[in-house]
Amino acid sequence: GAADVNRPLLAADILPDGFPTVEAVKYMGKLMSERTDGRLSIKMFAGGQLGSERDTLEITTFGGLDIDRIAIAPLNTFEPLTIIPALPFLFRSTAHMRGAMDGAPGQMILDALQPHGLVGLCFYDSGERSFYNTKRPILKPSDMKGMKIRVQNSDLYVSMIKALDADPTPMSLGEVYQSLVQGVIDGAENNWPSYQTGRHFEAAPYYSLTRHVMAPEILVMSLSRWNKLSKADQEIVKQSARDSVPMMRDLWDARVNSARTELLAAGVEANEVEDQSAFSDLMKPVWERYIVSDKQKALVKSIQSMEL
Amino acid sequence: MEILVLLVVLVVLLMMGVPVAYALLGSAMATFVVLDIPLVVAFQRMAAGVSVFSLMAIPFFIFAGDLMYRSGIAERLVQIAEGTFGRPRGGLGMVNVGASSLFGAVSGSAIASASAMGSTLMPLMKERGYDGDYAVNVTVTAAIVGLLIPPSHNMIIYSAASGIGVSIGDLFLAGVVPGVLTAGLLMFVAWRVAIKRGYPGGKFPGWRAFAKAIVFAIPGLMTAIIIMGGILSGIFTATESSSIAVIYTMLIGFFIYRTLGLKTLFKSAKESVKITAMVMLIIASATAFGYALAILEAPTQLASLITSVTDNPIAVLLIVNVILLVLGTFMDMSPLIVIMTPILLPVVMAVGVDPVHFGIIMMINLGIGLVTPPVGAVLFVGAAVGKIPVEQAIKTIWPFYLALVAALLLITFVPQISLALPNLF
Amino acid sequence: MSDNTLARVTHKAADVLLIVSGIALLMMTFIVGWQVFGRYVLGSSPSWAEQSALTLMIWFIFLGGAAGVRDGFHIRIIAVENMVSKSTRKKMRIASNAVVGFCGLAMLWWGGELVVRTWSHVIPSLGIPRGMAYLAIPIAGALTTIFSLERIFDDPAEKAKIGEMSAFGVETEEGDA
Ligand code: NA
Ligand code: NA
Repeated sequence: GAADVNRPLLAADILPDGFPTVEAVKYMGKLMSERTDGRLSIKMFAGGQLGSERDTLEITTFGGLDIDRIAIAPLNTFEPLTIIPALPFLFRSTAHMRGAMDGAPGQMILDALQPHGLVGLCFYDSGERSFYNTKRPILKPSDMKGMKIRVQNSDLYVSMIKALDADPTPMSLGEVYQSLVQGVIDGAENNWPSYQTGRHFEAAPYYSLTRHVMAPEILVMSLSRWNKLSKADQEIVKQSARDSVPMMRDLWDARVNSARTELLAAGVEANEVEDQSAFSDLMKPVWERYIVSDKQKALVKSIQSMEL
Repeated sequence: MEILVLLVVLVVLLMMGVPVAYALLGSAMATFVVLDIPLVVAFQRMAAGVSVFSLMAIPFFIFAGDLMYRSGIAERLVQIAEGTFGRPRGGLGMVNVGASSLFGAVSGSAIASASAMGSTLMPLMKERGYDGDYAVNVTVTAAIVGLLIPPSHNMIIYSAASGIGVSIGDLFLAGVVPGVLTAGLLMFVAWRVAIKRGYPGGKFPGWRAFAKAIVFAIPGLMTAIIIMGGILSGIFTATESSSIAVIYTMLIGFFIYRTLGLKTLFKSAKESVKITAMVMLIIASATAFGYALAILEAPTQLASLITSVTDNPIAVLLIVNVILLVLGTFMDMSPLIVIMTPILLPVVMAVGVDPVHFGIIMMINLGIGLVTPPVGAVLFVGAAVGKIPVEQAIKTIWPFYLALVAALLLITFVPQISLALPNLF
Repeated sequence: MSDNTLARVTHKAADVLLIVSGIALLMMTFIVGWQVFGRYVLGSSPSWAEQSALTLMIWFIFLGGAAGVRDGFHIRIIAVENMVSKSTRKKMRIASNAVVGFCGLAMLWWGGELVVRTWSHVIPSLGIPRGMAYLAIPIAGALTTIFSLERIFDDPAEKAKIGEMSAFGVETEEGDA
């Protein structure tokens, strides 16, 4: 009802308490509370208590949740512009990704969510994703030939693995560890911290730094709750979200460093690939398949032409 | 306050005789209205709750078990079991405990184990003069053992939820002795109860007949080998193995034993769908119900209760046991692990409990929650497959509960039961 | 009598639901089997397998659940029912069927909203609307409402057995009591 316009904003994250994204959203809540004399605050439900990312995203579009921190992939199923930052080998570096997402290209994506009942607030980092496997270091694409690689349930990832001549196996994250141990799959791909948290390194000790995807995470708000806020409060929410980004990235960088150090000490064998362009050259058909509209093409162009 | 709405409405509806699935949905909807959450969310949660790959093992194993029974494969397997391990009184009960434990150990899922063993063994136990309630009691409680014996996907979830990198390898090792202990206690109870009720022992048919039985049972025995071997060698996941089990059973039922026809196949599919629907509709509604519980922060409130009451390790562990048992009654296992681990682990570690040990405590606690009313998925599967009302199963289940509680207390207060093995390596 | 016609129609409907659901289960079995076959024999996993199997499962659970309302095979607690007088029991049955009917209406209404709101979302690897998976909910809801209304006005359990009744749950217990 209208009476509880000021009830705390309910926020969801599948990552556990203490994770950089979770801490950043809590920090955002603290900023909002300071800036509105406690009228607006955030109540965080971390660790996937309220469901998977796809679930909480749907619930947010219905107005059942107010704030949702998700990877960008679940948005691909209804907003074509969100596919762009997930394209393999689009970003040249983390600095490039951050610059693009904080700038005009990022804003274009955030704005595109409004018709779907969402207000895009800001982008967080999800790091650089690389392949890991149980067999051998991957130095060149042919090392992956025929490997069964777990992917998220996403058409884009499936085509990417196919383009590398490996066998994409869509599977939920929860089944990956067991499947690596049993040999149902040979490998998977993720950033350093997830590789550590899921303990996948115990079974798959070869981590090859392909850095194929740097898709960011995204913070969205439900449009129905947004519309109930005053213009001034809307601005405060947006600004607080933006102000939480540098804090998130500091935590993230520290997390990546500690994960890398600990994993190397635990015996993980990490390697740089011989020539990254050998991998990215194979992505042409993938790009062609997913970049179809003029709007998407313009967005790709504006990201590529950024000097970062 | 809202949590009262949730619980009172649930209890009233259950007492009224509303089916469990609709009572859970009704109370969840009532709470959503009070909390001003759009009702469409309840149905999103319902669908999401059953849209889980690993849950496919439920219909598949129910279906495979039913086909094994209808095609006579199960009968042949039981003949062998009777001839070997089933000779003491109530031997088939003990065989059931052993088979359910082994099956649960490999499949990693208590529900899958109850589905498969229930639909295979229960009809045969009944044919041999065992009561339905006994068959259900044995099958559902033994299914819990598989949660402790590796591999166990719930331990993997626990490791991830711990946030401190508890080694999955250590957890797997730590579960072995508690699993065997629990199976042993259950076998003892199965034997005592069988004697008290005067169930028959299996007869050894003589070496010639026994050898013949084995030869005839070979295609059937292969089912077990294909499932277990396939999972352990990595040809397929536990969930996939359940569909392979169905297809394999169909093939040998059609072409080798020639006991299956299209008509029987459809009849079996219809029967399996019924049992699956009644169990999984409850899981669906429980997911909507669990969402309301989570929004109300019920788990966190319970945990803060503990720390305010005591810091005595034994008392803390006892309270934690009770809390997990209570929550396990209302909520499903994996979401509970995800929610409760970050809350409880720091509490118990502060009083000196080893995180690996606590993982095992959590498994058996939540496992017991699966076989206790008002909401216990494994108990429901067992009753459904055994075709008896839940009440009838519960009336006589207490000796088995007693064995589980004894195992729980031993595992909780003697850490070496869990930790000796991982400490060796 | 028109009552009997209604009973025959709903009985047939519940049976059709179970047949459709049974076929869905068979399809799901072969899809997941094909996934293993594809990975090992053909060297590539069919990426549509997981999502299509999950979608079929949602359908047969909800349709089968609706059939369960007609055939009375849902798990419920009958302890209280068995303690009270026959007339109180009759009232309780009417009330509990009304609750189920109301749940059915809610499934129809808000489940329908769920379908509409997710129709523009795509299920990855299948390319069909997400709402298609959820469509089972409002359909099952409508049937649940009809079946529970029938039970309120014309409880099959109170009458002679029509067709194959479930061996457990309400009916058996009534017989024992
Ligand atoms: Na296990
Ligand atoms: Na329970």
